[in-house]
Order: sequence, then C-alpha cells, then structure tokens
Amino acid sequence: MLQHVYLIPLIPLAASLLILLGAKEDPRSPMPFLGIAATGWCLLQSIAIFYGAATGALSLPYAADWSWFTFGATAGGKPFLYDMPVGVLIDGSAAVMLVVVTLVSFLVQVYSLSYMRGDPRFKRYYAYLSFFTASMLGLVVSSNLLVTFCCWELVGFSSYILIGFWFERPEPPYAAKKAFITTKLGDLGLYLALLLIFCQVGSFQIPQIREYVARGFMPAAAATAIGLGILCGAAGKSAQFPLFIWLPDAMEGPTPVSALIHAATMVAAGIYLVAKCYFIFAVSPVAMETVAWTGAITALLAATMAVVSYDIKRVLAFSTVSQLGFMMCALGSWGFSAGLFHLTTHAAFKALLFLCAGSVIHAVHTNDMRQMGNLDKKMPITFFATLAGTFAIAGIPGFSGFFSKDMILEKVFEHDHESPWPMTVPLFVLMALAAFSGWLLDRGEFFTRLVHFDALPGLAPAHEAAHAPAYLTWYVTAAVFFAIYLAYRLYGGSNFREAESIKRRCAPVFNLLERRYYLDEFFLALVGLSDQAARLAFWIDSEVVDRFFVDGWGLLMLALARLCHLFDDSIIDRSVDATGGLSVSLGGTLRWIVRRGLVQEYLLWSAAVMSVLTLLTLPAQRYCLGASVGLGLLAILTLLLVRRPR
Amino acid sequence: MSLGHYLLLGAALFIIGLFGALTRRNVIGILMSIELMFNAANINLAACNSYLHPAGVAGMTLAVFVITVAAAEVVVGLALVLAVYRNSATAYVEDFSLLKG
Repeated sequence: MLQHVYLIPLIPLAASLLILLGAKEDPRSPMPFLGIAATGWCLLQSIAIFYGAATGALSLPYAADWSWFTFGATAGGKPFLYDMPVGVLIDGSAAVMLVVVTLVSFLVQVYSLSYMRGDPRFKRYYAYLSFFTASMLGLVVSSNLLVTFCCWELVGFSSYILIGFWFERPEPPYAAKKAFITTKLGDLGLYLALLLIFCQVGSFQIPQIREYVARGFMPAAAATAIGLGILCGAAGKSAQFPLFIWLPDAMEGPTPVSALIHAATMVAAGIYLVAKCYFIFAVSPVAMETVAWTGAITALLAATMAVVSYDIKRVLAFSTVSQLGFMMCALGSWGFSAGLFHLTTHAAFKALLFLCAGSVIHAVHTNDMRQMGNLDKKMPITFFATLAGTFAIAGIPGFSGFFSKDMILEKVFEHDHESPWPMTVPLFVLMALAAFSGWLLDRGEFFTRLVHFDALPGLAPAHEAAHAPAYLTWYVTAAVFFAIYLAYRLYGGSNFREAESIKRRCAPVFNLLERRYYLDEFFLALVGLSDQAARLAFWIDSEVVDRFFVDGWGLLMLALARLCHLFDDSIIDRSVDATGGLSVSLGGTLRWIVRRGLVQEYLLWSAAVMSVLTLLTLPAQRYCLGASVGLGLLAILTLLLVRRPR
Repeated sequence: MSLGHYLLLGAALFIIGLFGALTRRNVIGILMSIELMFNAANINLAACNSYLHPAGVAGMTLAVFVITVAAAEVVVGLALVLAVYRNSATAYVEDFSLLKG
C-alpha cells in the first residue's frame, strides 16, 4: 500500500486535468463525480495508511526516493554530478494530515454538489477543487523540500483562483490578489530559508537534513535564520501576525472553498511545514520562541477582532486565525503533538462550522448575523451541527476542542427549510467527528503515540516534561462558560441594546478592533511607500541612468563613429584614390613620351629593354656580356641618330 | 673555325640588321634589314646544330622553316608597303602615323 503512496497527490491532479480539459461546461455534467471519486479513493488510501499505522501493521516513517534530475556541480574544486531526488516521506503527522486533507476535501466536494448547483462554472469549480487537493497532498507526502515548496506555491495559486472564483463581482478578485500577494511576502522568507538549507546541508531531502541537524552540524545561527524564514512563509500561509490580513477577505470565495482553505489545505500548510521542519526549530531557541510569540499575539489579536464582527464568515475567519495562532503557540512551546492534534480537531470543527455557515447563507442569503435568528426550529440539523462545532471550538469538556475563545454564533439563525441532503450529510459526518474525534484520538494518548517529535539526541528540550497543573483546565472551562453566558446576555435578545451601549462606551477600542488594528492601512502605507520608492527609482533610471549613461554612451559612440568615418573618408579613401591617380598620371606621362607614332622609336625602345633584360638574365659569359654591352651602346647611338633633327 | 666564330658572324649580321631597321627611313630598307636579322638567326641555328648536335637535323629544319616564314613575311610586308604608298605617296616611315593613339 505504501509503495503506491505517490499516487495520492497524482490521482486528484489527473482528475483535475481531466475535468478541466476533458469536458464541456454543463450543469448536469457527471464530471464532478470524477473529482469526488478521485478524492474518495485518496481518502480510502489515507484511512488505510492511518489504520495501518495506528494498529502497527505499517511501520512509519516510510520513505522512498526516485531520481529527478541531475546537474553538474563542484565541491571543493572537484566537479561531480549532483543527483536531485524526488520522493515521498510518510510519518505519523503525514498520515494524519492525509486523512484530514482528503476527508475535508471529500466532504466539501460532496457538499458543493448542492451548494454550487447552477453555477455557470460548475465543472471548472470541481477542477480547481481537485487541483487544490492535489497540491496540498503533494505538499504533505513530499520528502523533498523543493517539491514541497512547489506544491506550497501551487496551493497558493489554487487558493487564488478559488477565492477569486466569482470574478464578476469586484471584491473576490481583490481578495484573491490580496491573499496571493500577502502570502508571497511570506514565501520570500521561506524561499531564502530553502536556499540557506541547501547551502548548509547540500540537500533538500528531509531525512538527510534531519540527520545533518541530529549530528549537530547545523550552527545555531543558521538554524535560527532558517527557522525564521520558514516561520515567515508559514505566517503568510497560515495567517499569522502580521500577515493574517488576507484571511478575513478570503471569505469572498464560495463558502465550501472557505471551509477547505480554513480546515484542510491552505492554512494548515504553514503549520504542517513548521511541524515538518521541527527539528530545525529544535536547535534554535530563538526561532522557537519567535514561533510561540507569533502564535500568541496572533491568537489574541484575532480573537479581539472577531468580537466586533457581524459577518458570520468573517467571525469564523477570525476564529480560524486565532486557532492557528494557538497551534503556532503550541508548536513554539515544544507542543508538537498538541499543535498537530489541534490542527486535526480544528479541521473537523472548522469545516463543520463553515459548512453550517454555508448552509445558513444558502438559505437566508445574508452574511450579517444580526439579521438571523430562531433558526433552531427551521434548520434543526444545521443548528445542532453548529452547536456541536461551537462547543468544540469553545472547548466544552466532552467535545474535541480544548482551547477557548469568544464565540458568539449560536441561536442567531433564521431560515425557512432544511438544506438538501448533499449539504446535510457532510454536516452529520463532521458533527460526529467534531464531537467525538477528540475522545477517539485522545484515548490512551493514541494520537501522541502516533504523532510525536523524536527529540534529537542531546538536544532534548529542558521544559518538555513541565505539565500544566490540573486546575488550569477548570479555570479555562469556567472562563468558557462565563464567556458563553456573557455572549448570551449581550446578543441573546433581539435588539442588542446592551451590546450597543457597551459599544458606545468603548468606542475607541471598538474602532481599533473594527479597523483590524490598522494593519491593512499599515500595509497599504507600506505599499504606497514602496510605490513612491519605485517612482523615484524609475525617475533615476530614466533621467539619470538612461540620459547620462545609456544615451551618453550612445552619443560617445556616435562621435567616435563620425571620427572613424572622417578618417576613412579623408585618409583611407583619399590614399586609394591617390594610388589610382598616380597610376593614371604616370601612364599619361609615359604615353606623352612615346606617343609620337614613330615605328622606329617603338622598335628602339623594345630593343633597349630587350638588351637590358638580356644583360640581366643571361649567364655572365664574356662574349655574351660583350655582345649585350655592344647592343646597348648601339641602342644609345641609334637613339641619338633618330633624335637628330630632320 | 669554331662555333664562336659562327656566332660572332651571326651577332654581327644581327646588329647590322638591327641598326639598319632602326636607322633606315625608307620602308623597303627596313624590310631588307629585317631579312638580315632573320638570316643571322638562321646562321646561328645551322651552326649550333652542326657543332652541338651533329647527328640531328632539328636546327637545319627550323632554319628552313624560318626561311619560309621570312619569305611569307616579305610578301605581306611588301603588300602593306604598296598599300600605304598608294594612300600617302611616300615611303618614309616618319610619315606613317595612321595608328598613332
């Protein structure tokens, strides 16, 4: 089973291409079922792997490499062929992530059958979903960080096309661009971290990097730089402070896509990457500390912003940001298992909440929670599912979530009829998971046994064994119940009088929260600043560089060319002409000398020339010489004779 | 009598002919001087043949051909002289300048 694990990302990819290229757009097209079937197959495989790992039938981690490409390189002055492998690496966390991704993707696709019915780009939507899933699965299974990075970027691209899926309206393309560019900002750091890893280790293979770190070759400074770079990428993808600004706007996409982004694919990627490279963080206390603080700040900021939001999806988005902050915080505090555990349970209940929200929006056609109410009678399934999800996320004992946050969602829905079955069945499944997955996974520390970080020898964290005191749990639970009571008091009525009065009294605080701590303005100002810088650079380029250097160089060359032309014209050509002219004038002179038309004179010249030539060529024997000299004398004599005047 | 004597005779004849060809003003005289130079060459041919290669006849044969060519040349030359004389009523070469460029 494991030897074919590389098919898990490839099959949704193939399905995506088949759907995209192989069918016409048709509301009754069976193509969506192809995507569902592909994801379903991956889900079965993932469950099989997970089950095998859980029962011990499969020994993890499993790694397999294939040759990808080779290139010439030099090391220490010696040239050699570098063989870049591509491979899969399945460890406990990957097995869990596979199940999470495929399960959520599968349920979202089933849900979308109904939610997206009648959309003019129904088929393309499924192609994109499959592509999204394939990218994320590739990221999960790859053992080569370069391939992981490629998949990482494909995940970003998929989220871009899905957030901007309804591009006819003005907001989705804007949100898509915002998400894409914001995450690219983080990807820059990740890219630099990857380069640094390759410089340091000479390999992108995670097992080799791990080996390198485990043997203590990785200097702490390099580990810190790499860790901060990876954190930068993860902060973009997983919406950590200060790059979380894209996630609330990403609500512009279809709601099932939001579920997918928030639960399984996009935002989980950052957390998963940090977990995948955890061994690098393990040797850098600074990077670890930064991860923890980033997570904590993010969680706090997002939770406070959620309090003042009325858009149901936006509240959920802030909730996601907050939960992601908790995960980061857990990872940064050596809580490897805790972070990934929360990732898993969060995937279940956040997918549930989003699909519930989608169900509600589908029914009432508004996102504003103030206009909803009394939905428990009209939509009982959705109501109970939301309740389960809310209890889970709030950390009510018995439900899967164990962190708390202010969640003001329940009892504010309004609707006429229950959603059709493709939308309710995934709700049931997720409700069950949200309610019980915590129990199932937490029993006997099963999850921790499966997903844990093997401490590097000699580098075990000092405070790993520090357990939280038991009463902390009760404090937290009490705080949760108090918060729920408070929320019920404030928002339970129909006119929100108390909430409004509080809002009036704390107007500056509310304003700060509603403007999301002015982070958007900060980034816009940053963009404006860089815009000004770019304009300045452009001005320098066009006015200084182009004018003085490029144009000046051209003018210099022109002058030089003119000089060359002058030289050629007046000296070279003139000398050629002069040679010809000399020949002409010489010939004219000769002709003038001999042109008198006297045949005897011609004969005389011939004889004289012949005699001289004879003198030169003949062997210098005496009589010949004498004869020749005589001939020459005769010629001169004759010349004198001929020249005599008649 | 050695080969040198014959060659000296030939050279003397040739120079006399050349001198005549260069100095005579009458065309007929020039033609006769040219005949002298032909015969100087013929003497050289015959002498060289009999002294240097007594068994062969190549020199003699060539001399016979030269005599023939000389006769033909005289025929052509006299015909030209006659034509020119009829045109310009003179036999002096200074007056023959029709081909002057």
